[in-house]
Amino acid sequence: MTVKRITFLQELLGLLGLEERLHLSWISSAEAQKFVQVVSDFTEKIRSLGPNPLLAFRESKIAVAAELMPLNSKGDDYDQQRQSMA
Amino acid sequence: MINNVKAWLEDGIVDVFLGYREMDHHHLPHCFTREHMEEVDDLVISQVRYPLEKIATHMTEMDPDIKIGMLARDCNDRALNVLFLWNQLKAENVSTLTVNCCPSRLKEHGDCSYLTPEKAGVFKKQVGVDNNLEVEELDTYGRKERLNRWMYEFQKCIKCYGCRNICPVCFCKECSLEHDELIKTGPLLPEIPIFHMVRAVHMAGRCIDCGLCEAACPMDIPLRLLYGKVSQIVKDVFDYDTGSSALESPFNILGDKVALEPKPMEPAIAVNE
Repeated sequence: MTVKRITFLQELLGLLGLEERLHLSWISSAEAQKFVQVVSDFTEKIRSLGPNPLLAFRESKIAVAAELMPLNSKGDDYDQQRQSMA
Repeated sequence: MINNVKAWLEDGIVDVFLGYREMDHHHLPHCFTREHMEEVDDLVISQVRYPLEKIATHMTEMDPDIKIGMLARDCNDRALNVLFLWNQLKAENVSTLTVNCCPSRLKEHGDCSYLTPEKAGVFKKQVGVDNNLEVEELDTYGRKERLNRWMYEFQKCIKCYGCRNICPVCFCKECSLEHDELIKTGPLLPEIPIFHMVRAVHMAGRCIDCGLCEAACPMDIPLRLLYGKVSQIVKDVFDYDTGSSALESPFNILGDKVALEPKPMEPAIAVNE
């Protein structure tokens, strides 16, 4: 059940592209080595992903539309539509 | 239909009947009773829809044994099913009259306020999320783009709680969205995206895709799409069809049922005798 719930949460965070920032492992109190391993690995993973992208939104409370424009399609789509309308 | 409702009220099959009544050219939800039988003549069926089952839930809260009749579209039926499963209404106390339904992915023709969804404008298409997208189409955006697009939608939110208040399957006495230790309350803008994500998580196993939240939203946030995504994940992960399943939700707070049979304990043997 827990696996399923965490999978559900990962998928939902995936909507915002944050799915890799949630990790689930079973570690017994006798498995100190495994605990260290899992935490170190996950820390490394988070470090390689970089800082939380949500922080950028928190700093600028009033979001500026230009900053929010999707990186891949900046302007192209809009220009095309303008042309097709004209 | 009107004769049917009158007969139900007269025969005592139902104590009250929830439908729509035309008042000053507005079709408003109305509770028809035996005492005011003449009002039943004003019963109308149109594209207008409200969560009648939510009114039924509130009535049942006051009087658990009241017998309620109501008009039901497909979305009402699904909501009722969920409310029965969550023990908010008793199936034997609710009678429904089926009316024509919205032309969702399930049906092509019907009478519903969702009949003609508004088309997204150029700007919204460019930086936000088009309300009319299919759930699968969301995945075509890249990770960063997806975040930006959803955050653009969420930052419009004015925290009116309209989505929660209209939701037929929101019945909690205490709402996490108004819990100061979880989410900041008061006259502030909501914390994003946590406000919407909390609601999204709570819609798991409950949302029946009626689209009333989106219709109620003054800021045009694609909530139906968001909760549609949630329902899809629930289907994929838990193999649970919200609304049509007769099984209890996997998110039931009581968890899985224990299959062990209850047995009396062995009588304790008195030592000192």
